Amino acid sequence: MFLQFIINGIITGVLYSLSAIGFALVYNTTRIFHIAVAALYVAGAYIFYFAFHTLEFPLWAAGILALLFTAILSILTEISVYRPLYRKKSSLNTAMIASIGIMTILINGIALLFGNETKVLDNSIQQVFTFGEIIVTLPQMGQAIIGIILIAALFAFLGFSNFGLEVRALCNDAALFEISGFNVKTTRLIVFALSGVFLAAGSCLTAYDIGMDPHIGMPVLINAMVAMIIGGTGRIRACIVGGLLLGILQALVVFQFSANWQNAITFLVLLLFLFFKPQGIFGSKKRLV
Amino acid sequence: MEYILHIVIMLNIYILLVLSANLPVGLANLLSICQAAFYGIGAYFSAYFLLQWNLPFVVVALIVMCLTGLCSLVVSFASVKLKGDYFVLATLAFQMIVFTILYNWTEVTRGPYGISGIPSVKLFGIISLSGIYGYFALTTVLSLIVILLFGNLKKSPFGRVLTAIRSDELTVLSIGRNPARFKNYAFFISAAFSGLAGLLYASYISYIDPTSFTLDESIFILTALFIGGIGNIKGPVFGALVVVVLPEILRFVGLPDAMAANLRQIIYGLILVLLMYFKPQGLMGELKIKN
Repeated sequence: MFLQFIINGIITGVLYSLSAIGFALVYNTTRIFHIAVAALYVAGAYIFYFAFHTLEFPLWAAGILALLFTAILSILTEISVYRPLYRKKSSLNTAMIASIGIMTILINGIALLFGNETKVLDNSIQQVFTFGEIIVTLPQMGQAIIGIILIAALFAFLGFSNFGLEVRALCNDAALFEISGFNVKTTRLIVFALSGVFLAAGSCLTAYDIGMDPHIGMPVLINAMVAMIIGGTGRIRACIVGGLLLGILQALVVFQFSANWQNAITFLVLLLFLFFKPQGIFGSKKRLV
Repeated sequence: MEYILHIVIMLNIYILLVLSANLPVGLANLLSICQAAFYGIGAYFSAYFLLQWNLPFVVVALIVMCLTGLCSLVVSFASVKLKGDYFVLATLAFQMIVFTILYNWTEVTRGPYGISGIPSVKLFGIISLSGIYGYFALTTVLSLIVILLFGNLKKSPFGRVLTAIRSDELTVLSIGRNPARFKNYAFFISAAFSGLAGLLYASYISYIDPTSFTLDESIFILTALFIGGIGNIKGPVFGALVVVVLPEILRFVGLPDAMAANLRQIIYGLILVLLMYFKPQGLMGELKIKN
């Protein structure tokens, strides 16, 4: 039983990692507290649903479509809201409140289009793999494999191109970055697009397993933020460690107490980290502004 | 008539909530998203004292305000220790923990079933305040008192120090004021008056359940605050007016209920985004939000 919980925790952890990367990409680069992530996540799931169910695309095509359109949506939030605010040199708090506005608009727009009720993608009983005493369902298998492939692809991209370095430079000093001849606009756009891709990946993989409604975004966003804080801000690999730890921790809470107290324990851990190790497990020590 | 009175009562409750959110958020620039947690704590304490003890309104109000204020110490401790986004996250964590406790500690809070049959408050110990007219009078008087109180508080030395913390915390420290102490007071007062709003809500509706005190409610209060404007008194009052009256106006447009709720939220969101670009201090607000 114990091992089963750990495996479930790891798979949930991979999903948390995907959303945490989606949040952290934007947060690390622009310092915007990107609450609209919750809405983009929901949008990804609903585009997936629309493509698969209504347009009757094959599963993989629907998935790619969802990734693509969420990336476009994410870019649109940057172009229509964050970039004008950035140009006006608005404060980050202003951007955050505007982000709450975007989230409200998108989530309620989706609810208007698709209704508030829960939608399920696949009703059939899922195939199950058994390894000894561990049981893994097919969607869980897909979540783990696709999640890991995506994360590996991101690392390859950041590692073998200069993009990772550029992102860090932009985060460090936007003015200097621009003076050195790089384009702030394009770099920010790519970051937002990547963030959209990872959010959509997380949401499609989850939605295929357990369905969706327009309000699934907020809990995911919160878990993603907690995963990012636990791992440490400023690093992408910290999100993965944070996500996995959070997934395992929550699974253990379910194993030991009950699912009801999952949230309370999660936030207790968040508070402990905020007070005693705000830089996270991997973060380097720096002044918190 | 009773319909209008009901709207006015809810408006008064929201004036209390938004004004008390204005104290840390608007004056001291501490973006806290846990105002609904204090509202809920106040409502649940009130339910307990109204159901178990036969106390006059003033006593219940004072007890509830003090207890809710004490709960705010957790948040004010965080506000001293953490800065910027980390503080926002800590208040978020507080909000979620309070909600989880209200929802899951069924032996005490009766969890998702909520607490029903909360008696009306008793003015001066004898007259049981009942009916919508009584509550209309009580909440109107209270919200007027609170408006006056916060107006004076803003002009008082205390309010000035808070405004100074918003501008530059280090300078405040260097001229011999302790920002930590003032933040504690600000959160205490803010939580206490949110608790009072909780008391009015619980005894007026006579039924409470945890879903009235979610993170969404906190965000809703902040939305009202930022639409109205931060920093002064007329801003929050105007914001409360907008969020309470706008749904009622939309009701007369004749949209189906399910659509109306979503459409209303979309309008709030749009106002928020546009305001942040054109007038980040809110429609009637005083100062710009600083970083």
